[in-house]
Amino acid sequence: MGRSPITFSVMLTLLKLLQSLFKTLHSEGTPGQVAAGIMLGAGIGLSPLLSGHNLLLFAMIVLLNVSFGGGMLGLALFTPVAFLLDPVFDRLGYVLLEAPALQALWTSLYNTPLVPYTSFNNTVTLGALVAWLALAVPIYFGARAAVSRYRAKYGERVNNSRLMKALKASKAYNVYSWFQAE
Amino acid sequence: MTAPRFKVFRWRAIGPLLLFLLLLVGLWMAFADTVARGMAEDNLSGMLGTQVDIGRLTILEGEAAVEVRQLAIADPRDPRRNLLEAGTILIDLDPVPLTEKKLVIDRLSLNGLQFLTQRATPARPADPNSPAGRLLAQTDAWAREKFQFPALALGRIDSARSLVLNPDQLGTVKAAVALAGRVDSTRQAFEESLNQLQLKALVDSSAELATQLAALDPKKLGLAGVQRTVSSVQQRLDRIKRAQSQLQGLEQSARTSLATLQQGLQEVDAARQRDYAFARSLLQLPSLDAPDVSAALFGEPSAGFFEAALGYARLIERYVPPGLEPWKRPGPRRTRLDGTTVEFPKVAEYPRFLLKQGDVDLTVGGPVPGSLKATANGITSQPALIGVPATVAITGALGKDRSVGVQLGAMVRRFGRAPKDSLAARLTGVSLPAIQFPKLPFGVDPGASTLSTSFTLAGDRIQGSWEILSDRVTWLADSTGLKNASVFEATIWRVLSGLTVLRVRAELGGTIEHPTLAIRSNLDDAIAGRLRALLGEEIAKAERKVRQAVDQLVDQQVTAVQARVSDLTTQVTDRLPVERGQLDAVHQRLETEVRRLTRGAAGGITLPKL
Repeated sequence: MGRSPITFSVMLTLLKLLQSLFKTLHSEGTPGQVAAGIMLGAGIGLSPLLSGHNLLLFAMIVLLNVSFGGGMLGLALFTPVAFLLDPVFDRLGYVLLEAPALQALWTSLYNTPLVPYTSFNNTVTLGALVAWLALAVPIYFGARAAVSRYRAKYGERVNNSRLMKALKASKAYNVYSWFQAE
Repeated sequence: MTAPRFKVFRWRAIGPLLLFLLLLVGLWMAFADTVARGMAEDNLSGMLGTQVDIGRLTILEGEAAVEVRQLAIADPRDPRRNLLEAGTILIDLDPVPLTEKKLVIDRLSLNGLQFLTQRATPARPADPNSPAGRLLAQTDAWAREKFQFPALALGRIDSARSLVLNPDQLGTVKAAVALAGRVDSTRQAFEESLNQLQLKALVDSSAELATQLAALDPKKLGLAGVQRTVSSVQQRLDRIKRAQSQLQGLEQSARTSLATLQQGLQEVDAARQRDYAFARSLLQLPSLDAPDVSAALFGEPSAGFFEAALGYARLIERYVPPGLEPWKRPGPRRTRLDGTTVEFPKVAEYPRFLLKQGDVDLTVGGPVPGSLKATANGITSQPALIGVPATVAITGALGKDRSVGVQLGAMVRRFGRAPKDSLAARLTGVSLPAIQFPKLPFGVDPGASTLSTSFTLAGDRIQGSWEILSDRVTWLADSTGLKNASVFEATIWRVLSGLTVLRVRAELGGTIEHPTLAIRSNLDDAIAGRLRALLGEEIAKAERKVRQAVDQLVDQQVTAVQARVSDLTTQVTDRLPVERGQLDAVHQRLETEVRRLTRGAAGGITLPKL
């Protein structure tokens, strides 16, 4: 019995997520670089995709010496979280956009070139961005501690596994290594 | 050994990043037009509450312009036709406001316009949950609730037909029962208020006091005795004055209540008239009042115009907010939660959308070619920033021989204390669609006519008119239906088929909650007169039967409630003067006695003022 295209696509995505997870955790980067990548990726994952600031975050992941895999891992991990938290972001954004003390700031930003393309005046986008800014530091330290602990306890064993060797041998790994932390 | 220096930037990633950006540009070039077309179709469809199709949309980045081809906007009330089709629309944008995500149109040109064209495939109905879909449904429900038109002729007049009425169907009974309850509660309240005054006890004790005073000799009492007596009487007089004042208040309140009850009797009478009309409809009796004739024939199309006008005015209200307060609208549709997008307009800045003043030549194609000249000013999403009303004026001529004259003016003033939207249009020589008369086997093709319409919405107040003038009408009959027509229908047909002129005028007024719609036409008196002459006796006979049937069921309750109102009125009008008279009399007696005592007392003593 053949699998449906949707099931195949879901499985492929999960496989890629697994690949990304392993590659990132075993990359050359320090736990801090991986954690910084996860933190920036979380910013993209939490915000609605077509927000102007996501382009900036993506450029930061690519250009800054952080783990690219970490960024993709952060994006993959936090996108489903964002769907769950959307009502919270909506409420938070609404409160901020309605706050009398911030009206002058929003009005000024709304009438500033390029800023409106960030869609900051959308409740979900602003709520997600502010929530990410508030959570960025905890995400960073949490991820750094988790990666350090993983490498110390399981890193060697997993690195020598057949699965990891197969992953490293693939062509995709070579492309991915362009963005590896130095 | 020293640790390698940590590098902040990953310079070797610039190449792939540039490649990525190049890929984005490539994707933009390949798909931007298609994506923008889809988004424009979705947004316009949601905004207008009807299917909007765009054949092709091209973003001309170098010229900061957008070219739209084959735009078709379906009629939300008739999915088989398009309200408007445009061959080419060229939109020249001002690039500076575009950096702030604001659309400011410098120049707009439209070509190949067509109106009211047939669609190849029926349009999709509006999403009932979209804002425009909800607005359309609301205005549709509003028109159905507020405008109900009598049927002119439904069948053979049968005065011998038995008429069976259920009392539960009659509003008179309900109104009479409700009024009887109000009469009882008014009577109870009146009696309780009167009892609380304790007038009888006051009058009796005061009369007794006056009798006691009459027996007193001031000389025997002496100065001090007179002073004490007068002082105690004074307290009684004050109490009587208070009672008189309370009685006056009660009288005023009772008169107001009686007036309300009298109004209730009028409402019962109005309910009885409605019940007569209801019973008449069961017997299928037509109304021969002249305004009812026009309402029956032209009520639907005129109400349809006002419904559409109100719907679009409400749509403008929704998308063009008054003032400069932050304005909320639903966020973009996406897989994630849409959220709410808030606009923050600012004085001296561009609004989110603006069509600058401009003259537009509209080339009309299709089966009715022609040319129109449009002048638009201040078309914007934030009129308070512009400070002038949005106006559109269109003039021109359509048709191969330019026989159809078009004059249209619209104004939207959505700032200041009294926002107002208005529209006036006049089409001359236009071929209007045929009007089928409801429940009659014939209709009218107005032919080349003059159609004048106007509509104004100011706050809650609405005003409008819808007028058709035609000198060459053609009456359309369904031959089968005409063969089986009743005498009534045949008479109407004979009247109509002898006429060549049609003049209809509908006038809307009042408020959205309580609209008024008066429709008159040159057919009113002609039809009503002929029908009265022909069927008057038969109708009068049936009318008497209708009245008897209703009266038989409601007379008992109506008579009972009339008697109750009458009793209460008599009670109030008879009793209160008596009570007042008794109080006045005893007051007078006490004052007389006090004067006698004080006059009889020796010396110039100072007595309390009365």
